[in-house]
Amino acid sequence: MSKAWKYILMVSVVISALAFMSPAMVYAADTIQVGIVLPLTGSQAAFGEIEKQSFDLALDEINAAGGIKGKKLEFLMEDDTGRPEVGRSVAEKLITKDKVVMLGGGYSSSVTAGLAGVAQQNRIPFLINTGSADDITEKGFDYVFRLNPPASEYSSGVEEFLANVVKPKSVAILYENTKFGTSSSKAFVKSCEKLGIEVLLNEGYEHAGIDYKPILVRVKQLNPDIVYMVSYVMDAALLMRQSRELQLTPKLFIGGGAGFTLPEFKENAGVAADYVVSATLWHEVLPLPGAMDYFKKFKARYNKDTEYHGAEAYAAAYVIADVLKRAKSLSPEDIKQALAQTDMMTAFGPVKFVSYGKKTNQNKLTTYVVQWQGGHLKLIWPTNLANAKYVYPVDWLKVWGF
Amino acid sequence: MKRNQVIVALVGIIFVLFPLVVKSDYYQHLVILALMWVVIGGSWNLLAGYTGQVSFGHAVFFGTGAYTAGILANKLAISAWWGMAFGGFIAALVGLFIGWVCFRLRGPYFALATIAAGEIFRLIATNWESLTEGMLGIMILQTFRSKLPYYYVALALAASSIWVFDLVMKSKWGFYFVSIREDQDAAESLGINATLYKNISLLISSFFTGMAGAFYMNYMAFIDPEVVFSLHYISIMAILVGIIGGVATIWGPAVGAFIMIGVQETFRSALFGLAPSWVSQSHVLVFGLLVIFVILFMANGVVGDWPKIKRLFLRSR
Repeated sequence: MSKAWKYILMVSVVISALAFMSPAMVYAADTIQVGIVLPLTGSQAAFGEIEKQSFDLALDEINAAGGIKGKKLEFLMEDDTGRPEVGRSVAEKLITKDKVVMLGGGYSSSVTAGLAGVAQQNRIPFLINTGSADDITEKGFDYVFRLNPPASEYSSGVEEFLANVVKPKSVAILYENTKFGTSSSKAFVKSCEKLGIEVLLNEGYEHAGIDYKPILVRVKQLNPDIVYMVSYVMDAALLMRQSRELQLTPKLFIGGGAGFTLPEFKENAGVAADYVVSATLWHEVLPLPGAMDYFKKFKARYNKDTEYHGAEAYAAAYVIADVLKRAKSLSPEDIKQALAQTDMMTAFGPVKFVSYGKKTNQNKLTTYVVQWQGGHLKLIWPTNLANAKYVYPVDWLKVWGF
Repeated sequence: MKRNQVIVALVGIIFVLFPLVVKSDYYQHLVILALMWVVIGGSWNLLAGYTGQVSFGHAVFFGTGAYTAGILANKLAISAWWGMAFGGFIAALVGLFIGWVCFRLRGPYFALATIAAGEIFRLIATNWESLTEGMLGIMILQTFRSKLPYYYVALALAASSIWVFDLVMKSKWGFYFVSIREDQDAAESLGINATLYKNISLLISSFFTGMAGAFYMNYMAFIDPEVVFSLHYISIMAILVGIIGGVATIWGPAVGAFIMIGVQETFRSALFGLAPSWVSQSHVLVFGLLVIFVILFMANGVVGDWPKIKRLFLRSR
């Protein structure tokens, strides 16, 4: 019997220890905590880093300007490692353990979809700044708001550019087989139908691959007018390098945003990055208040260029600050109300959440076209806002140094 | 024997009371995940640890179970909980098919074949878009806001899996399994139908893994092929859970599951925010070092080498 008592004692110690661990009721009264979920490690870390740095930059400015109603704003950055399962754990932790007032971040579409579900279920407002698969804002989640346009609208600027300048007859579409890649390629196929472009190939490839030559050889055989690619960063660089090695020369290479605008793309692709065109959601020369300021401040602090992902995060930080300032209280209900009433201008563009089609709480934005020219990302479309004239047609072999 | 039963009963009571004492959703979530891994690790252990057929493809069964639930919810618009009823059986059917193909091979060749099976299923799920939605994945809404129902479903699943594995291993099937592991040819010469019993082992293993997969769909509410058919995060994780806990022990995978989930989360969140952020940035590295350490110094896992660990601490005292 004494043995049994020993175990019972042990059990009670364990239970009380667990009880001690549970809800930490310590409230830091002088800060307002917002949870930000980003991929800080793993294959999407390059995006997570540029967004984290932009969040940090904005946070310092917001707090230097007096914070929110006299309190300091604090971002609790958590790493989702690019996996939906981990993203879900992270969101659970932020909501139930740290008791954040709202969530921000959300990079990859599949992680964001999971986060949106957690946020909606826990009735915690969630401002998405990048995760772009269309269906995320089509579920009727009233606590989920999206700052960036859905994937299907990323290419609207490119569409105009194609219709007016390139006028291609055929296209080969290559996309990374992910939620974002699939959504984007489907949308682009629709654009092609509209523009009367024949889709010769529409193929997904495995992400984190190292050899894209088999698929590129097929593209070369089909000889399309343009190649459209939806890729993250390393695969984007490899696709271009291997296209150069195979001397695959369509009239134009076009990227569907994501990896093609990151500085890392240029670094990894080298000369093969030149004159590649990409859809983008933002460029520092756009006539938006604070856009150029943000670009310069980012460069000064981190000594590298920023692009649209960073701008999304920077703007999201300001939207969060604005919402928390306007919210009647810090209850999820009031913050949701304030989010729904958002109508402000940011360095990323105007932010106002509207419902249209199947979508709810979705911000509508114009998209643009950029081109890498001499190692710099230049805005080439629409022409009235551009800071460089587009280079087309391109003599690829000469550019690539053959 | 008596003492063991007392321990089991006490552990059971702790787990039943746990969510009533610890109200934090976050800790409940971690325990739910660990309980799910108890099921998967135990299933893997039955096939690999006891029967000696090392599988690198348990994601096949996990994914099949998850997709059964997901497709039921997505295409037939019935509750994904029906997946809990069918997921295990469909996964067991798939298991039979894989057994039929792969059990012609032994040892490392069997292991290689299971890797291939895992990749084949992942590619099917990725490309059969009309059925699986491809990489868009299947997203549903959780049925319950509270964690409690999920917790008790996971607990019931984990407990029943351990109970079944224990029962099987104490029956004559269990002895057949071990004899096949030790020497398949000798076992056959004694009149044991090796192919039949290997398939039985696989059947039970795939059934429970499929159930865990169906539970995952219900609980996580989002799946895509990369998540549930992942070689790295499902198949390999199942092996690590089994090995760290202790191969060919009933409680090993259960202990392993809690260690793996605990260590993963502790380092990912940088000791729950107490340590500097570089700790969380290097979480994958730390994880790898832990695995190397266990394999080098505790080859039989925590449960298998428990006497050794106990001696170590007793001596140092």
